Amino acid sequence: MALIKIEGAEKRYGDAVALDGVSLRVGAGECVALVGESGSGKTTLLRTINRLTALDRGRVVVRGETVDEVDPVALRRSIGYVQQDGGLIPHWTCLANAALVPELLGHPDAERRGRRALGTAGLDPHVFAARYPRELSGGQRQRVAIARAMAADPDILLMDEPFGALDAITRHEAQEAFMALRSSARVTAVFVTHDLGEALRVATRVAVMRAGRIVIEAPAAEVAGKATGYAAELLARSGVSA
Amino acid sequence: MTGRALYASYGRVRLAATVFAVATLRALAPCPVHAQEGPRPVVVASKPFAESYLLAEVFAQLLEAHDYPVDRRPGLGTTELVLQALRAGDIDVYPEYTGTGLAAVLGETAEGGSAVVFRRVSDEFEARWGVHWLPPLGFENTYAIAMRRSLADSLGVRTLSGLAALAGRLTGGFSPDFIGRADGLDGLAATYGIEFRDTHSLLQAVKYQALAEGEVDVIDGYSTDGAISRYDLAVLADDRGFFPPYDAAPLVGSAFYEEFPGAVVVLARMAGRIDEAAVRRANERVEVEGASIADAARELLGAVGLGEPADASDPGRARDVAVQRRNDRLLASLPVHMWENRMALSRQVARHLLLVLVSLGAAILVALPAGVALERRRGLAESAIRVAGLLQTIPGIALLAFMIPLFGIGVAPAVVALFLYSLLPVLRNTYTGIIEAAPDAVAAGRALGMTEGQLLRRIRLPLAAPIIMAGVRTAAVINVGTATLGAFVGAGGLGDPIVAGLTLSDPVLILSGAVSAAVLALLVDWGLARAEAGVAPRGVAESTL
Repeated sequence: MALIKIEGAEKRYGDAVALDGVSLRVGAGECVALVGESGSGKTTLLRTINRLTALDRGRVVVRGETVDEVDPVALRRSIGYVQQDGGLIPHWTCLANAALVPELLGHPDAERRGRRALGTAGLDPHVFAARYPRELSGGQRQRVAIARAMAADPDILLMDEPFGALDAITRHEAQEAFMALRSSARVTAVFVTHDLGEALRVATRVAVMRAGRIVIEAPAAEVAGKATGYAAELLARSGVSA
Repeated sequence: MTGRALYASYGRVRLAATVFAVATLRALAPCPVHAQEGPRPVVVASKPFAESYLLAEVFAQLLEAHDYPVDRRPGLGTTELVLQALRAGDIDVYPEYTGTGLAAVLGETAEGGSAVVFRRVSDEFEARWGVHWLPPLGFENTYAIAMRRSLADSLGVRTLSGLAALAGRLTGGFSPDFIGRADGLDGLAATYGIEFRDTHSLLQAVKYQALAEGEVDVIDGYSTDGAISRYDLAVLADDRGFFPPYDAAPLVGSAFYEEFPGAVVVLARMAGRIDEAAVRRANERVEVEGASIADAARELLGAVGLGEPADASDPGRARDVAVQRRNDRLLASLPVHMWENRMALSRQVARHLLLVLVSLGAAILVALPAGVALERRRGLAESAIRVAGLLQTIPGIALLAFMIPLFGIGVAPAVVALFLYSLLPVLRNTYTGIIEAAPDAVAAGRALGMTEGQLLRRIRLPLAAPIIMAGVRTAAVINVGTATLGAFVGAGGLGDPIVAGLTLSDPVLILSGAVSAAVLALLVDWGLARAEAGVAPRGVAESTL
């Protein structure tokens, strides 16, 4: 059964069409990449899952419940979220940042969960717990953001260009760390990227979007074979040979 | 220790700061008047011009000579304000003129001479407010329309009727209140048909100078002004009796009248004993020779046989010495003056702080929530900030003037005006601080399930705090400066010595207020800068402000 089910999603911002009748299913344990250029609607689609964006038409069902019918705050606390710039709270320590969601949920052991999450994301809590975000490198900050998203052990993780701001080497390390984490945590993930190569390396399934529609949807291993036209162009640009 | 020695040993700035610190401590201490044992002091007030200060000081010294403790409130404010204070029992006595009581307070015109007018105001004031006119002191200080003697001679003008024919070629310079009053310039026009080619509004302090230098041709003075003889002016006769009699007399409140019958007798004993020559001489001592009000009052009492006789020294030499002393005072005696007047100064500092803190507090209570709310209505924010900005472009004195019809005089109009001035810095900085507070962290926090309240309390406000504090600091410093204008609407504060000094042409008095206000502004700025650093959240790069 699909953990996330999007049906006929439509969204406009004024005259601009962001989503033009998108449907997508994500099964438990999958890692789906939404690929496309700026304005293709991939981030809008991601944000409908935890109701950061409300649809004009269509519906989103998470764990069997329509998101419009549940408390958005509770929904968001149950879903991990990582954004491109990390979005760490600058005047909080790494530990306070990592322990945010357990703390919001009122877990008495929020701090322990935060420490554990830092460790899982590849940061030694003894070294990093008391540091502030501006004392970290870009890669370290992104790991704290991932630790924060995972600290309350969510079954779903959403990521918006999680590695987009990193340099090539750091980016590769971060991708590796994420894949290790995903396999150990058994989390269902949906992430947005403009880089088809990254999507193919990290995801189990890829949905290529253009102008508010999904133009190709296939298991990662099969995308290269199916790629024609736009997808082939994206592949070529990403340096992945078709 | 002389002023010079003090100056040398401490240095002006350090002493001023010490004086200020002491003044502040005293201001913050509980009011000593009520804690005192024995009879309460008699509160003697005046209006803010030289002769009023002088007469109030004469009253005070006479009372003190008869063992009545005195609390001096010189230059309290306009006629309306001082009378209000007298009626409320906040003050006990102040010098007033029968003509002012008749024309400015009762709004009537004179029909009859001095005795008739005196009877009219005594009856009416007592019946309406229980306020008593004691017998007139013995001199009149009526309006004196004056010209340079050389010009009056060459034009052959002796009377106001004579002036009417020539006024179209002349320029007038008058006090703002004379221009505005029905018994002032308008009445002159109605009674004599006097219409000047041009009219300037001039403060008392610069009017005589402007006349002497030919900037204006005709001014309104007072018949007892020392400057009339000093500048050799011709006073034009009021040949149609336009100005009512202006007999000076102590005006006393009802509580005082019943509580201190002995003191009333002491004041009443002055009746008819203070003549115009003595008052003009005392005014000249203050306004021209730079003698202190206290000295001039003591000499006046001596001259009319109510105190110790004054030294019969050569007046020419006395004048030179006085001018020399005034220059010395400028250089050396500001700290001494401030120390000697520390009680009054501390009251003014306390009042000043009250004006600033109340207005600023109210502005924070309004502008902070408004700035936060505007974050969700960014379209509206632009216009709201523009309106607040527009308020700030209104000159302080004009804004205060707008407040008077709405809030009367005293503390209220000043606080409201300062409140309006404080809105912009606090509103703009709150709004800017909130929208610029780590928008990516706010977005991530929301995506992870923080409520809007949590985002505000835990991310936005802590990050915006230094910027908001910077706005509060700006508003506070502006307010400390602007609050000096409060003196013009009777709000008190450090503007009082500045306005009094302008009236008396006394730079030391002006500086005592201005330096205190400047020191206060620096201290407020320093204190709030510390507070600003104190609220800066850890882990964030230091504020760039």
